[in-house]
Amino acid sequence: MKNSIKVERAKKNITQAELAKLAKVSRQTINAMELGKYVPSTVLALRLAQIFEVEISEIFTLEDSDWV
Amino acid sequence: MKINYLFPNEFKRIGWLILIPSAFIGLVTLIYEYEPSFLDFNVPAILVDEITFSDSKKFFRMVNNNILNEIFGILIIISSLIVAFSKEKTEDEYMSKIRLESLVWAVYFNYGILLFSFLFIFDLSFLWVMIFNMFTVLLFFIIRFNWQISKLKKLANYEE
Repeated sequence: MKNSIKVERAKKNITQAELAKLAKVSRQTINAMELGKYVPSTVLALRLAQIFEVEISEIFTLEDSDWV
Repeated sequence: MKINYLFPNEFKRIGWLILIPSAFIGLVTLIYEYEPSFLDFNVPAILVDEITFSDSKKFFRMVNNNILNEIFGILIIISSLIVAFSKEKTEDEYMSKIRLESLVWAVYFNYGILLFSFLFIFDLSFLWVMIFNMFTVLLFFIIRFNWQISKLKKLANYEE
């Protein structure tokens, strides 16, 4: 799964640490998501969408490999 | 996400403070078979297996026992449980995932070593394997979990 957390974060002009605080997770988790190492739960994904004030599908997109 | 099966984060430090000295002293007293006489007590036992006279097994008796190894065993088990299962500063879903992975990995590794020991270590030497095996699941878990967390922290620091 691809995500545009880094892009959205840049748009809002906030750091990983600030986003982590807003989303109530650790900075390591934000970093791991941006690197595509961790796929967040639905709850966390929805929280991020709310923080960025966008639809969830604007942040997260499925890839072909997600169907395997 | 509320997790109610972990200790608070502050417990972790206390756990380490108990674990390190008691593991060290426990190991030394075990190797040198140090049994100070002031710790000899008559203690209740569920099963008594006397090797010396006959093969008789007795239930629910008092036995004379040096309780030093019991003390250290209990300290090590409780403190490693606390170290292993205290929350991280920010315990989120990713930490939970790493926790679960590390636990599975630790159990595999532990039983891998036990299987190997079953095949190649016998008789009284196997007693040593059993003694260490009481603690190694938690030990492997603690090593693997903290290693993964520190790797993650390093990676996150590198990013910014």
